[in-house]
Amino acid sequence: MALERELETYRTKLPELKGENEGRFVLIKGDQVIDVFSSYDDALKAGYTAFGLKPFLVKRIDAIEQAQFISRFTDPLALKQSA
Amino acid sequence: MPHFTLPLGPQGPVLNAVVAVSNERSAALAAAGQSVPKPLPIRALVDTGASTTCVDPSVLTALSLTPTGIVLLNTPSTGETPHQAEQFDVALIIPAPVGPALIFRTIPVVASELLAPQGFHALMGRDILDQCLFSYNGSIKLFTLAY
Repeated sequence: MALERELETYRTKLPELKGENEGRFVLIKGDQVIDVFSSYDDALKAGYTAFGLKPFLVKRIDAIEQAQFISRFTDPLALKQSA
Repeated sequence: MPHFTLPLGPQGPVLNAVVAVSNERSAALAAAGQSVPKPLPIRALVDTGASTTCVDPSVLTALSLTPTGIVLLNTPSTGETPHQAEQFDVALIIPAPVGPALIFRTIPVVASELLAPQGFHALMGRDILDQCLFSYNGSIKLFTLAY
């Protein structure tokens, strides 16, 4: 999966990021936290401005991340098994 | 309040939409001297059971997108342990038969496999519905989206 290094950086830096930054958006490139932004759009814009089309991660800062949920079967294997 | 009403099909509230490169990525492509992929028309199912909007990877690949996020995702196939899913920034336009379209110039969507074979390319989740009024009138087989 892409962005694994950036995700590991997020996990490592989360204890420093959480607290007053809860709910804000962090921009990460490699093992560097670039900045924290109040909106997703601002973080994304900063990422594309700084790194162009090279990989970078924008992630909402949550001390405990709440998983997204899809109630439909979207896994290919699950679909084949249920057919 | 702009709104439109469409018939409920066999698969439920499905509508036409357009997925395009986000404004921010479009600017980065232009700065790199690359052409911006053309927007793609899709079919999307309005799904109150999806907390986030999902798009089939075939659409994201056609737009030459790369992920800019990773989120935890639970589906019926993941069991109790959510898996990491790639997130992409896109623009999403839902044209109305009459009046202004519902436009998201930049919105994060999750790649979700095998939506296209089910007859649609996207699940329009509650992240979008949170900004709309959605009415499902099963007795007369119509649904309405106001925004």
